[in-house]
This record gives sequence, C-alpha cells and structure tokens, in this order.
Amino acid sequence: MREVLREAGILFLTAALLGFAYTAVTGKGLFADSGSPSSAAGNAIPSPAPPAMIHLEEAQRLFQRGSALFLDSRNAYDYKLGHIKGAMNIPLKEWETEKHRLHNLAKDHLFVVYCDGAECNSSIELAAKLYAAGFTNVKIFFGGWREWEAHGFPTEKSD
Amino acid sequence: MKELFQNDYVSLLARAFIGGLFVVISIDKIADPASFAHSIANYRLLPHWSLPVVATLLPWLELLCGLSLLAGLFVRGSSFLLAGMLFIFTGAVVTALLRGLDITCGCFTQDPSAEKIGWTKVAQNVSLVLLTLFVFLAKNARFTVTSYLQHRTRERSS
Repeated sequence: MREVLREAGILFLTAALLGFAYTAVTGKGLFADSGSPSSAAGNAIPSPAPPAMIHLEEAQRLFQRGSALFLDSRNAYDYKLGHIKGAMNIPLKEWETEKHRLHNLAKDHLFVVYCDGAECNSSIELAAKLYAAGFTNVKIFFGGWREWEAHGFPTEKSD
Repeated sequence: MKELFQNDYVSLLARAFIGGLFVVISIDKIADPASFAHSIANYRLLPHWSLPVVATLLPWLELLCGLSLLAGLFVRGSSFLLAGMLFIFTGAVVTALLRGLDITCGCFTQDPSAEKIGWTKVAQNVSLVLLTLFVFLAKNARFTVTSYLQHRTRERSS
C-alpha cells in the first residue's frame, strides 16, 4: 500500500506541476484575468459577482419599469406554451445561432434571464454566455417561469 | 476468477480502455478549463475559490493517470487515483440527481448542450469504477514498462 501511495503522490505532484505551468503559460483557468468581460469571452473563469441572482419582487419591479429585456432560456416548445410577457426566447442550446438577435442592443442593456424554475440551470448558463459576450448588466431571475406564472403576473403565448 | 486477475491480456485490455478513455476526456478539459470550472460549479458542491484550482489540476491528473495506465508505469498508483476520482464523480452525480439539479455532466465534453446527467450516467460510472478496481487488483505482469525494466535489470545481473 505504501508503494501505491508513493506512486499516487508522484502522479499528483506531477499533474499539479504540469497543470499550473500550462495554465500560467497559456493564461487559461487559474491565471485567467476574470475581471474584464473581454477576457471572459476567451478562457476566463466566470466571475461570481456578475450576473447577479434576483428574486420575484425584483423581477416584477424591473418588469413594471419596462427597461429590462426578459430572456427565456428554455426550448422553443416551452416558450410557445407560455412565457413572461414580452420575453425573447434564446434557448441555451441555440445560443450560437440566436445571439445575433442581441447585436443591436447596448452592452450595458439590462437583461433578466430565466428558465423553468429554481431547479433548472440554463438561465445561469445563458447569463454566463451573455456576460462572456460582453453584456455587463445581466440578472438571473431565480424563480423562473413557474414562480412568475404561479403569482399570476403577465404572461403570453405565441404560435 | 483468480485466473482472470492473472491474465495479462485481459488486464492489458482493461488498462488500454480506461487509460485511453481518460486521455481522451482530459483533452477537452485541458483546452478549456473555464468551461470545466463552470461544469463543476453547476454541481454546487465546492466553494467558488476552489473551482479554478480543481479545474486546473484535475484534467492533468486524468491525463497523467491515463498515460501511465497505457504505458504500464505506476499502474497501481494511477488506477488507485482514478478509482478514487471516479468514486467521487459518481457521488457528485448521485447527489446532484437527488437534489433535482438539471445539469450536464461535464464528464466527457464541456459542450453545454450535451447530455444531461441521469441514472444511466451513474450506472456507467459504477462500471468504470469496477473496471478500474480490476486493473488495480490485477497482476499486470506483462506488457508494462515496469515489467520491461525489471526484465532488463534481471538480464543484466545474470
């Protein structure tokens, strides 16, 4: 067993050495400059601060103010069955083909991203993609479609 | 059963499979540690500060362990590490499923539109753990760099 641990230790240390040397040289991962959105487009690890999570009250406040664009990260089928009024559908899986729809918007335009509810993840992933694409004002509505609909806030369907 | 563990061809096959698999899956993660860190973050198990460290270290450990299994060097050490890693990964997937997380695995590819985790993934991982434990316990007496070096030393001393 001592031999096994010795071998494992050597492998672990070599991996650590190679990993840190590689990321230091290439500027990826650990050594990425995660502070600026431009580098986030490359390989930086998404910073924890932006995009922020918001709850129902804040989402509704932003909805009433009308300045935020709501983005629905669910698939087109779910979106058609019902979505937050005025929301644009950018399914996470179709980000690459759909992102051009946001080109005309200012980089500091306010986005509220949501998916099905608190247990889905596509809103977080879509928000990370928006942030990586340089959009600096992105919020994630954590309760998502289910919470919005349950509270009877404005929704609409599309054909 | 004992013969299976002593059969050099069976253990070579198991080593080549596990080793090759880990070399292949490590490359995507090494090329894009940020996406891998994101995949780990989705599991919501590790503190944020540790993500870049894990995303930097883990793929290289997978690569090295995979290579050493292929070459037959440090076979016991690397299969020990891989079995341990697979065991932890499986635990992470199980807890994520129990918590109802709707996430992609981040195991083989960092493509966010890849297959979501499910019980098939758990079954797949458990079989990989068993196969890796087999490599750990097998004799691995031939087709390894270690056995070649031992053979050379014996020849020289005789």
